[in-house]
Amino acid sequence: MSKYTLNVNGQPRTVDVASDTPMLWVLRDALGLVGTKYGCGIGECGACTIHLDGTPTRGCQTQISAVGGKSVTTIEGLDPKGKHPLQKAWCELDVPQCGYCQAGQLMTAAALLKSNPHPNDADIDRAMAGNLCRCASYFRIRQGIKRAAEIGSGSTPVEGGSQ
Amino acid sequence: MKPTTESPRMDRRHFVKVSALAGGGLLIGTHVLFGELAAAETLAPAPADFAPNAFVSISSSGAVSIIAPNSEMGQGVKTSLPMIVAEELDVAWEQVTVTQGDLNPAYGRQTSVGSQSTPANFLPLRRAGATARALLVQAAAQMWSVPVSECTTERGTVIHRASNRRALYGELATKAASLTPPVNVPLKDPKDFKLLGTRVPGVDNPKIVTGVPLFGIDVQLPGMLYATYTKCPVFGGKVVSANLDVVNARPGVRDAFVLDGVEGLPSGVAIVADSTWNAFSATDKLQVQWNEGAAVTQNSVEMAKHAEQLASATPAPALPSGAKAVQAVYHYPFLAHATLEPQNCTAVFKNGVMEMWAPSQIPAVGQGLVSRGLGIAPKDIVVHITRLGGGFGRRGSNEFSIEVGAIAKRLEGTPVKLMWTREHDFAHDNYRSNGWHYFTAGLDGAGKVVALHDAFVKMQGGPGDMSANGFPFSAIPGSQVSSSKLPGGIPTGFWRAPGDNGNVWATQCFVDELAHATRREPLSFTLDLLGGAAPQLGFDAQRMTSVLKLATERAGWGRQCPRGEGQGFAITRTMGAYVAVVADVVVNQAGELSIKKITAAVDAGTIINLSAAEAQVQGAILDGISAAWFQKITIERGAAAQTNFDEYPMLRMNDSPRLMEIHFIKSAAAPSGLGEPALPAAAPALCNAIFAATGKRIRTLPIISESLKWS
Repeated sequence: MSKYTLNVNGQPRTVDVASDTPMLWVLRDALGLVGTKYGCGIGECGACTIHLDGTPTRGCQTQISAVGGKSVTTIEGLDPKGKHPLQKAWCELDVPQCGYCQAGQLMTAAALLKSNPHPNDADIDRAMAGNLCRCASYFRIRQGIKRAAEIGSGSTPVEGGSQ
Repeated sequence: MKPTTESPRMDRRHFVKVSALAGGGLLIGTHVLFGELAAAETLAPAPADFAPNAFVSISSSGAVSIIAPNSEMGQGVKTSLPMIVAEELDVAWEQVTVTQGDLNPAYGRQTSVGSQSTPANFLPLRRAGATARALLVQAAAQMWSVPVSECTTERGTVIHRASNRRALYGELATKAASLTPPVNVPLKDPKDFKLLGTRVPGVDNPKIVTGVPLFGIDVQLPGMLYATYTKCPVFGGKVVSANLDVVNARPGVRDAFVLDGVEGLPSGVAIVADSTWNAFSATDKLQVQWNEGAAVTQNSVEMAKHAEQLASATPAPALPSGAKAVQAVYHYPFLAHATLEPQNCTAVFKNGVMEMWAPSQIPAVGQGLVSRGLGIAPKDIVVHITRLGGGFGRRGSNEFSIEVGAIAKRLEGTPVKLMWTREHDFAHDNYRSNGWHYFTAGLDGAGKVVALHDAFVKMQGGPGDMSANGFPFSAIPGSQVSSSKLPGGIPTGFWRAPGDNGNVWATQCFVDELAHATRREPLSFTLDLLGGAAPQLGFDAQRMTSVLKLATERAGWGRQCPRGEGQGFAITRTMGAYVAVVADVVVNQAGELSIKKITAAVDAGTIINLSAAEAQVQGAILDGISAAWFQKITIERGAAAQTNFDEYPMLRMNDSPRLMEIHFIKSAAAPSGLGEPALPAAAPALCNAIFAATGKRIRTLPIISESLKWS
């Protein structure tokens, strides 16, 4: 067990866990931030996608010892009030089915829109191919990203924010 | 952390005996089909009770709360079932707060399988809403001393137009609570529906997009520990011994023990730790000596040989003289459910009561398993229904309930969350059975189908058998289906659209083969078959014809395609709904498949929530495509060979069609469910399109294991 102080959603958080603990389980079990989901544990499904310094990263493949001072953003910190253009679009178009993958989809899509505010279909295919949706809500996820691009018109994902 | 699932405001066992809410208010329910569940728990009527169950509560402040009785797994029932109540209650949707119901006989049929949540609850929930409305109207009429017949309602208000008086439901709640519920309350004329048939976004969406705890895996309780339960990879194997000393010494491990001899619980090793990661890490170090049992001799290669022997033991009857034979063998493999949320369940056993948080499609099954296995009376097993991270039929069998129940009982007083690893989830599924269809058809000189025989083989047990009652067999006089079973040992079960998910693929592809064998255009060939289909219970050839015509018309069926492009269609009547799917595909010469467009037409009767209905059709079609294109579980030495998504690929964004058009037939017929019906026709539409594009007939799934190269 070792103590780590992390910057999670804009706040310092200290945890005492084994150094090989993946961020997925640090967030879920030690910090109670259960929006980040476990799907496969091998980086294949994308349900655990978080941002490290704004870069979409697999929480299940990132040991806490590798995080250091990087800022960690989870779905709870994307915009706690749900005002991120993607969150608005997701609600407006009723994107989620079971909803389990959607935190990961949103975090990946938020990074896409930050680097490419108006992605075309091929851009969306490339960026989102790592995020499995078992309900196959892909048609609405694609629509949702395009709608968020409209809503945001140069949207900036909110880094940090209160819990 | 606080418990994270929603609970009704009152304890379930007191809930039904209380009618007046604190501060004045109204609780109302209706008499619905309870079946065995209700018989098991007879409720003594109390003076203040309106009915033995409760879906609606209205506080004097005007807040309207509606219970969602069934499990939400993406099919939309947490929104659509309360919509049915709200429609008849005549409140604005914005006034309504939806609460997930716990397992409670008062809520009637809480089984979310077979696309039955909507059809089974439609009338009972309409009556629940209408009865509540009638009481509120009665309360207003008494207050104003006017006849009930002169009062109307609108958006949560009772109105007496003649005297221009209005009363909000909240103002009437306390008075309404003192009235006797009327019987045989009239229901709305469907043409007056204001809410049903509109697009209503899922009630949990704001929570989903902000990461609020909702799912079984999200449950957190004070002092909670985390458990795994490891079963033998070979189905039915038992623990002989395990290195419990090593496991117990691992970081964070609180307990490790063998469980055996509990009724309904497969033998296995429980590991309990202070975090999921420590439980998983300790499980990695677990070494078990197993008695693997009889299933170890089972493998997919031998099953295929055995299936052929069984099929050849039931040869097709002799064809009419002069008929030309067309024969084909279709095979589909085992499938995993692979819900993205792996199986899990949380429980605490305290003061003789087992309290559980279960992501379950049939929570009563879990309650029953725990009751029988651990000797706890059902009334002492409280089951909270969480949101499910996908169901697809997987979460009906509830083995996670007895697993966590047995662990929680041993750790009395300590809450335990059982978490299956993804690998365990793949290894211990109730798989969609494999199946084989050995078809023989006879064509006469005019190209008419004069005989059709199907020697069908599947695993023993589970759903998915074939009968000669369905289309196209019903359209061909003298057609026969013979069904044989491979001996059991591999657990099979309900997988979205059981039976139809593989059998409609085989039969609809073979019908396309017959059209080509007779040199007929496939659409007119199928329409002719439908025209000649013998009338049978539950199959309306006219409804089937209508969706086929609509889908093909909207898809621009019949356009000339260059080589490498093609269209295919297929039809199904599944779970009471009629669905036609048209696929437009491109296959390049290297054999790379891409789906350009999906067009579907659906007759599901009355549509409750258009947004969810459309999403279910889109999702079910893509699920069917995903399974047919990529998925296969193979059995080796009595165990599943695939362990995770790297070995079991599924459809992703880049393979999904960018164009999807879903058309619903406008209908006032009773609603069918929609979680499953759109799945079965997707795979045959895709395979028929691939044939049109390449001339390659896919007779073995998944498609990805076949070469689609052409030159």
